[in-house]
Amino acid sequence: MCQLPNNKRLNMSAGIKYTHIYSLVYHLFCLTLGPVAFSQTLQIGWATTDITPTQPVLIQGQFHARLSEGVKDPLTATALAIESQKGGQPVRVIMIGLDLISVADGLRDNSNLRKEVRERVVKAIPELKPTDISLNATHTHTAPVTSLRSAQEIYGVSLEEIAGGKKAIEPREYYYFAAEKIAEAAINAWKNRKPGGVSYGLSKAVVGHNRLQVDQAGKSLMYGNTSRPEFSHIEGYEDHNLNLIYTWDTSRKLTGVVVNIAVPSQVSEHLYEISADFWNETRALMREELGKDLYVLPQVSAAGDQSPHFMWNDKAEERMQKLMGLDKDGTGRNSMGRRLQIARTITEGVKAILPYMKENIEWDPIVAQKTENIPLSRRLLGPDDLATADKETAEWKPKYEQMLAEIKANPDKTKEKRWYTAITIAHTRYRRGRSVHERYEAEKRNPKLPVEVKVIRIGDVAIATNPFELYLDYGIRMKVKSPAVQTFVVQLAGGGSYLPTRRSILGGAYGAVPASTLFGPEGGTELVEKTVEMIKSLW
Amino acid sequence: MVDILYNAVMKPLAFRNFCLGAVLCLLASFAAADELRVGATTVDITPQLPVSLDGQMALRVASKIETPLEANVLVLESLSPQNTSVWVTCDIVTIPTELLDLIRKAVRARLPRFNTRNIMVNASHTHTGGVVRANWYPEPDSIVKVTDYQHFIAEKVAEGIENAWKTREKCTVSWGIGYAKVAYNRRARYEDGTARMYGKTDGDDFRKIEGYEDQSINTLFFWNPQGALKATCINVASPAQIVESRYTVNADYWHPLREILRKEHHPSLVILGWVGAAGDQTPRPMYEHSAEARMLRLRYGEPGQGNDFRTDVYLKEIARRIAECVNDTYRVVQKEKHENVTLAHQVLDLNLPMRPVKEEEVVEARKMQEEDLADPIRATQMKRRIAWQQEVIDRFEMQKTIPNPKYPVEIHVIRLGDIAIASNPFELFTEYGVQMKARSKSLQTFVVQLVGPGTYLPTRYAEEGGHYSAIVQSVRVGPEGGQLLVDKTVEQINRFWP
Repeated sequence: MCQLPNNKRLNMSAGIKYTHIYSLVYHLFCLTLGPVAFSQTLQIGWATTDITPTQPVLIQGQFHARLSEGVKDPLTATALAIESQKGGQPVRVIMIGLDLISVADGLRDNSNLRKEVRERVVKAIPELKPTDISLNATHTHTAPVTSLRSAQEIYGVSLEEIAGGKKAIEPREYYYFAAEKIAEAAINAWKNRKPGGVSYGLSKAVVGHNRLQVDQAGKSLMYGNTSRPEFSHIEGYEDHNLNLIYTWDTSRKLTGVVVNIAVPSQVSEHLYEISADFWNETRALMREELGKDLYVLPQVSAAGDQSPHFMWNDKAEERMQKLMGLDKDGTGRNSMGRRLQIARTITEGVKAILPYMKENIEWDPIVAQKTENIPLSRRLLGPDDLATADKETAEWKPKYEQMLAEIKANPDKTKEKRWYTAITIAHTRYRRGRSVHERYEAEKRNPKLPVEVKVIRIGDVAIATNPFELYLDYGIRMKVKSPAVQTFVVQLAGGGSYLPTRRSILGGAYGAVPASTLFGPEGGTELVEKTVEMIKSLW
Repeated sequence: MVDILYNAVMKPLAFRNFCLGAVLCLLASFAAADELRVGATTVDITPQLPVSLDGQMALRVASKIETPLEANVLVLESLSPQNTSVWVTCDIVTIPTELLDLIRKAVRARLPRFNTRNIMVNASHTHTGGVVRANWYPEPDSIVKVTDYQHFIAEKVAEGIENAWKTREKCTVSWGIGYAKVAYNRRARYEDGTARMYGKTDGDDFRKIEGYEDQSINTLFFWNPQGALKATCINVASPAQIVESRYTVNADYWHPLREILRKEHHPSLVILGWVGAAGDQTPRPMYEHSAEARMLRLRYGEPGQGNDFRTDVYLKEIARRIAECVNDTYRVVQKEKHENVTLAHQVLDLNLPMRPVKEEEVVEARKMQEEDLADPIRATQMKRRIAWQQEVIDRFEMQKTIPNPKYPVEIHVIRLGDIAIASNPFELFTEYGVQMKARSKSLQTFVVQLVGPGTYLPTRYAEEGGHYSAIVQSVRVGPEGGQLLVDKTVEQINRFWP
């Protein structure tokens, strides 16, 4: 607030005159600048685009193919553009949160959505560098396959066969569509930049749960029944911190929130409809309670071994969802009731610290960034892994081929709804076994693979991305060594692939088997060390 | 004709009615759901000063009372069949067997025909309550005698039970579950496979937090005949030891939590604090200290003490988190008040295999004991630690004559409506509590630790890591006994849901 400075009593007539002039000039100065009475080095812009496919597509996230049968709720790309001119040195960052399962980055094949988006943005905004732009995925399991590979290559049957002759678009068509729309969000966010401020805080939201159970013999299993007598314990840790960045305009109006939480959005992971999963309900509730124009940028922290599903107490949770009045469209494990419950929890977490965030806005924080391609040690495969892979191939290849022959002989079968489930599972499993062999050969040539890591500094906050479904322990290790007051770890800023811990590998569950993981604990430690080193270089 | 009609109609009818009546009576005797009568009261068990404090290795004498200490009492009765269940929570560190015996004896003196076996008493684990374990610490003449404090607590609790019994009334009950980040697994694991309780997490060799956390908060609400909240039971898997090193009497986070809830609801709300399986937990953060400390400063306007969370402001913060969760659950479940509920209370006496002592552990124990005994002043201050090592030596000797010794424990398993309550006397590592909850057939399972003298019950993985709470000195019953405890508890719970 502008206040009149104390003035000494001056000569009555001249004094009053000078006092009035001084006061007028001072007030005009304050009114011009508003509440921000210092240099405006920080510019913030937000934008969203709808990346919902306009035609039926293949949905990514399960072993079997799923052809979309409608749109439950839209998919969004949310872009936050930040430009700092502090000290006359421009620093430009655009972060984009995507309702996709991952962001193809060229690690697995030549599909590189990240590169496609960057090229488009840089072309439109030449002052930006490609690495100024980072993308991360929420891991929704009800978004399109985003790849240059065809349905035939991915699932072993053609799109036409899967669709039974009905209209559908290949993954590649959606890939280019998504690249355009995501780039559009980034470009618009950049153009929407205005002076603004940021605040950051740590809240709590118990949403993510470690999804691996271990039995008395030490064997791990993803999900599964924990009421069995063999159940011993949950394999790993959970992190219920909610890392938040709030952005404000110069009138201290909240414009957006970056929500970083250690849980992937896969409540409705089996649906055959397009959906942003719980982020749809979360954005809606946050807008209802904090402003209809609020932007929400979701980030998933290190959560490769986490899920939004309860590992026990299902009935109790279902009952609570009913009592909360969240049961209109179902309750329980994969339900809308659960999604609404999560939305409620996250929104409460965001609101819980809002008053303190408004009182502690930084208008001129240090902004810095660094991006590097880090060579990480691959998880090297051994003879046992090859043997397991060979066994998988030997089991599933004949099944796939037989089913294929049946379809060729009876093409009318492709008119049946979801006829393709069994054959695409068979192909995925057969292909998985084969890919292990391909990796084994590749490892001999290149025992390391480069991955992109980006770190951003905003004031006392560090944001550190990685492309993986990173097991939670690695994220904790980054946070404890980071010099930042708060460290936002962001996974799935690339194509995915689990990065499991040593204990998880010993347990042997999905997510830790060789076929699921390009990298292992050695690479994980290298990632942690390098990420921390990069963060420290910004302090 | 009349006779014919009578024989044809009335006799069979009468017989039918007789059978029906007999069946109904039989069913009534097994009829589980019944009207619930509940009495509740709070008693003050604050010791007089100066008093020694329980929970650390060295003697601490308190000269200041920062908060009162309470015992909160609930007495439940169902009429058909007649059944009672008494629940008591005390702001002390554990419930030694002798204290439980004193309580039961004092209750029998007041209520001679009362079922004192069905009295379940748990400790909040505050490390700033009076010493309740005789012969654990040196006892200077100037301080309150431990046995006197034990008798004081026993009489106050018995008085509370009597008052609650005599004022019991028909009540309804609700249950619910919510979540709050209150538990932090306090064991850090390092690259070389070792573990450390409260270990540093910012070193290059830190690899992970060792074990799981259970952030669920199970709650019971009891409503009087007018529909007002009478009492609540809050089950949180995090022990009350934020200010554990102080030289003052303090109920730890339960005090500000009770204050918040009583202000929100009413001043005489009876609040039972049940600590869940939390032997490896603490309410204090293990990492992101700067971020946590900053949030305290922003919220409470207090400068704090750097990254030290053993503070009054942090007590307020944990109390706030729990209270918000409890109040949220209250708002959600108050629409579902159960009138006729099954009340069943089983007390089991188990003999669990003791964790064997190895010869090399005895050698180590003797060595550490000699170090403490070497200096007379230190020997006095470290009386507790010296005794701690001596127990290991004694157990090893006992093993020579009793090769498979057993550790007797009393557990309570209670059914109330759709929920189960299962107690154990240990500082039980969280994983065991999770197993009980996952395998239980009840809708919700409240696991209550420290219904007894304590001692840690670690997991096998924790034992491999070592350090306090997982070493032989800390442990009477190990993973083998822990699994048996889980199996027996689950077995009894599930008997209530055939």
